[in-house]
Amino acid sequence: MDKNIIEVTNLRKSFGALEVLKNVSLRVAPSEVVAVIGPSGSGKSTMLRSLAHLEVVNGGSIVIGGQDLVRDGVYPSGAKVREITSRMGMVFQHFNLFPHLTVRGNLELAPKLVKQLSAAEIARRASELLEKVGLQDKGESYPSNLSGGQKQRVAIARALMMSPEILLFDEPTSALDPELTGEVLQVMRQLAKERMTMVVVTHEMGFAREVADRVMFMADGEFIESGTPEQLFGSPQHERTQLFLNRVL
Amino acid sequence: MSLEYFLNITGPMLEGARTTVVLFFLAIVTSIPLGFVFTLMVKSAVKPLAWIANAYIYVMRGTPLLLQMLFFCFGLPVIPVIGEYLVMDRFAAACLAFTLNYAAYFAEIFRGGLLAIDKGQYEAAQVLGLGRWHTMTRIILPQMFRIALPAVSNEAITLVKDTALLYAVAVPELLHFAQTAVNRDFTIMPFVVAGVIYLLMTLVLTLFFKLLERKFKFE
Repeated sequence: MDKNIIEVTNLRKSFGALEVLKNVSLRVAPSEVVAVIGPSGSGKSTMLRSLAHLEVVNGGSIVIGGQDLVRDGVYPSGAKVREITSRMGMVFQHFNLFPHLTVRGNLELAPKLVKQLSAAEIARRASELLEKVGLQDKGESYPSNLSGGQKQRVAIARALMMSPEILLFDEPTSALDPELTGEVLQVMRQLAKERMTMVVVTHEMGFAREVADRVMFMADGEFIESGTPEQLFGSPQHERTQLFLNRVL
Repeated sequence: MSLEYFLNITGPMLEGARTTVVLFFLAIVTSIPLGFVFTLMVKSAVKPLAWIANAYIYVMRGTPLLLQMLFFCFGLPVIPVIGEYLVMDRFAAACLAFTLNYAAYFAEIFRGGLLAIDKGQYEAAQVLGLGRWHTMTRIILPQMFRIALPAVSNEAITLVKDTALLYAVAVPELLHFAQTAVNRDFTIMPFVVAGVIYLLMTLVLTLFFKLLERKFKFE
């Protein structure tokens, strides 16, 4: 049980009559990089958002590092939920940077308000992370003056400021111009190398193939097939996986 | 048209303009916070609060400010039994009407500002572990005020001109002195001077809000 940092079991979620997650189960080991692929509307993002408690599920369980975020569709208290979700960081398709704060302000706001750290310590960590994502000279810029790729790198640094054990990526490169995806993927590659646990919903098949330990194919609210990149891309077993891969590769 | 005459009429008109400015400041510093309270009520999960706020906004926007002012000045005191306790100084009554009326407009302006904020902002705040209070005060409100700024500027300029409604309840202000001088001296000049004074006041406001917008450009 304890060896998985994420355990999702029989997750169900409906928006009205539309069943988006039918019976989704997922296990992620510490330091594992899992890529979730699949056609639009298959429920990939909803699954990821459920992990971060941005969606409330109708049934099933999510266990994060041994703690129940939801057990058989029942959530614990708000404080407990916050405690559990604080172990995860999330990076969004549309960055969701705070436009009224500088890059540095974006990084430092949450740690200042939530963590019991000194301002000096937070500032030092922000500098470190800006350097890590290659934006050490952009600390005083506002998000509106950054390119999409730079914004997403700031968003990753912002998530890392909270020292999460798990990073969730919701189509992190889908809103970027093709020539800007590389710089973001490079940062993610580096994180994978540093053994960060990551769940990445993505359309970047090249990235999934190269960086993921495991690739999971989702369609119509369920996982159809999963395996190593070699297995899934090399010899997909399921017809739906084959159809999808034929279309996107 | 002598310089002496010009100075003669301008003195009392500037005196009147002071009343205009006082009303403007009292109304703006009270109606903006009050309007924001109504915005929060409209957005409140407690439905009765939302109903009250919506009804309030409907009534205050749906009736003339002039009617509201007359209501507070001359209407309240004639209510049987309690009317005698509701007699107010006319300037105070006018201030009250302005505040309550403009609060309704500001409430709608701020609500528009909230609507313009992407839901991703709330989500980003949530996944970073910010609570409701911090999300509101550090993420949402600064953006809301920034978005609302041009509309608030517009409203403030309208407020300057609406102060001329004091004329109707015979509180001597800028326009009152202009009208008096025109009647007495049979010249159009006082109206021109009044217009110029209004323009100067709105110019100051325009520049002030331009400055604010530039300061909060976030670029």
